[in-house]
Amino acid sequence: MRPRRDPRAERQARFIPGTERPRFVLASAPEVPSARPRRDPRALRRAATIRTGVRPRIDWHAGQPGAVGRAEVVARPISAPEIRIVADPAFLVLAVPDHPGGALSDHDRELIGAARQLADVGGGAVVMLTAGDIAGLAEAGVDRAMAIPAAQIDNYDPEGRAAAVLAAISLLKPRHVLFPESGEGGADLARRVAALSGERLFSGVEALSGGRASRRTQGGAMEMAGALPCLLSIAENAFGVHEGVRHEARKLDAPEFSAMRRIENAAPVPVKADLLPLADADFILSGGNGVTDWKRFVELGQALGATLGGSRVVCDEGHLPRDRQVGASGSVVTARCYLAFGIAGAPQHLQGITEVRHVVAVNTDLHAEMIKRADLAIVADAQAVMPALLQHARERHHG
Amino acid sequence: MVKVAVLLSVGRHPASERSRRAPLDARALEMALSLPDADIHAAHAGDPAEPALRDYLGMGLARLTVLSIASGRDPIPALSTYLAQLAPDVVFCGSRAEGGEDSGMVPYLVAQTLSAAIVPDVAALSVKDHKATLTQALSRGRRRHVEIRLPAVVTVSAAAPSPRQTAFARARRGVIEALPAEAPADAFLKECEFRPWRPRPKRMRLTAAGSAADRLKAMTETKSGEGTLMIQPTAEEAARAIYDYLLEKRIIEERS
Repeated sequence: MRPRRDPRAERQARFIPGTERPRFVLASAPEVPSARPRRDPRALRRAATIRTGVRPRIDWHAGQPGAVGRAEVVARPISAPEIRIVADPAFLVLAVPDHPGGALSDHDRELIGAARQLADVGGGAVVMLTAGDIAGLAEAGVDRAMAIPAAQIDNYDPEGRAAAVLAAISLLKPRHVLFPESGEGGADLARRVAALSGERLFSGVEALSGGRASRRTQGGAMEMAGALPCLLSIAENAFGVHEGVRHEARKLDAPEFSAMRRIENAAPVPVKADLLPLADADFILSGGNGVTDWKRFVELGQALGATLGGSRVVCDEGHLPRDRQVGASGSVVTARCYLAFGIAGAPQHLQGITEVRHVVAVNTDLHAEMIKRADLAIVADAQAVMPALLQHARERHHG
Repeated sequence: MVKVAVLLSVGRHPASERSRRAPLDARALEMALSLPDADIHAAHAGDPAEPALRDYLGMGLARLTVLSIASGRDPIPALSTYLAQLAPDVVFCGSRAEGGEDSGMVPYLVAQTLSAAIVPDVAALSVKDHKATLTQALSRGRRRHVEIRLPAVVTVSAAAPSPRQTAFARARRGVIEALPAEAPADAFLKECEFRPWRPRPKRMRLTAAGSAADRLKAMTETKSGEGTLMIQPTAEEAARAIYDYLLEKRIIEERS
């Protein structure tokens, strides 16, 4: 390392004392040993850099006597999330979800959250009884999974499902059996099982604490609390979802069962999507200021089987009736998919679609809020895309 | 001729807490009254002097059987005995009472004792040759057709046709026939404690995972999408992308 020059010391060495004016020796520069070595900022920076992740962290006080102890950074290998195994459960909690369409709903996840709450108190395990195999049970917090073969349960077969639950109860002897209190079939199934088994059902449980369950009663005016019963149905939005640690979801064999079926035939009825209220709709085609051809818009809605909706501007101008307005001053929608043509995405409009899972937006403005919100964003003219999509839908729907 | 029984209960207005005809039971009675060629027997288990029962008579009932039971007692044995003697083809109920335990178990227990089929959330019903075709109201406005062999217990959904007005003169003219009935005390309800309902704070969906910055971001930021972005594609490309996305998420189904 080169010695660091000290210009003041050099000047002092050249100084000739005893003269009237300050004079300096200019001929030869005297050698002045420097007290400090020259700084190398690059080397210092290299020494201070700690690499922990993508971004480097720099600790300038590292190694100095007064510095706070340098954190021992150990590069943690990225591994699979932690898994918790309940090998020898003290008791079992049986949860029977709705799983509409073969996937766990939000209410089902809350059901597992409530079941975990009951099981974790005394080292129990959560068993889930499903019709057919369901994905994602381990992440949802299920210890054991029992799947009735899909062939044994029809599409709508509450009597068969109730018989299967009873068979599982007699096989597993669970301490509690939990159902979701939902219109998707959970509330019905809970009552069928309660009637068949002769057990008392504690329906619509809002809270579980201190070994007691509570629910609303007398038209919602009173709260009724009692000792934890065997059969419970869980109200919606009352319990938290299990998060973080994975559970085992070990497969168990489903029991044999036979049901007495009185329902002979059941089939879903096709419903005209355009007659549904917006709050009930599952798939909404929505138009904004970028749409001018409303006839084509309606045809597209019919071809895709979507319920029509629109922004405030469109309803103000009278292109759509007022009950078709989506947003804070219209309907707050809970659809699964929202297809928006020519909507920029005012905050009030985005408030109306916060619950929507999949948003597709077509807009000419790349910086529109709707484009940021969308899962599939297309920067194009809505008027040009609509006829192309209509033709595409007609060809592939009948092809 | 179809023999129809309607189980009626006394409702409670949510704001004023005055007794009224229960909205779902009124819909059940409306469905029974609009059934062609039906022999209707209406029954209530409770206090025969309750004035709200006159509202049901005002809808067009000539006679209402009341099994007199003290309040807070189990109505199931009395209703089961009454219905077993009557042997109806169809029993209509509201899906849940308001003002009692509100467990929604009565139709199921009645169906159990009658060994009848039970179908919940029915919006429409037609009977032909000892078979019934029902339309069930499901969530998201969906409907399902269900065929059953009678006898059946049917609980009526809020999506069923709204009940007719009650007429004052008919309500005065109708007869309430009180029958003495046995009702055991409900041991389960005696063990439970009751207190006025206090609204709970709304549950927020908090993410426990991630750093403090991640959690703050999850709480404050508006939800942004997956972020597939196509800039100025041709109309055909855009249409194909949208259609494929809808198919992939199973929003629409391709007909083959």
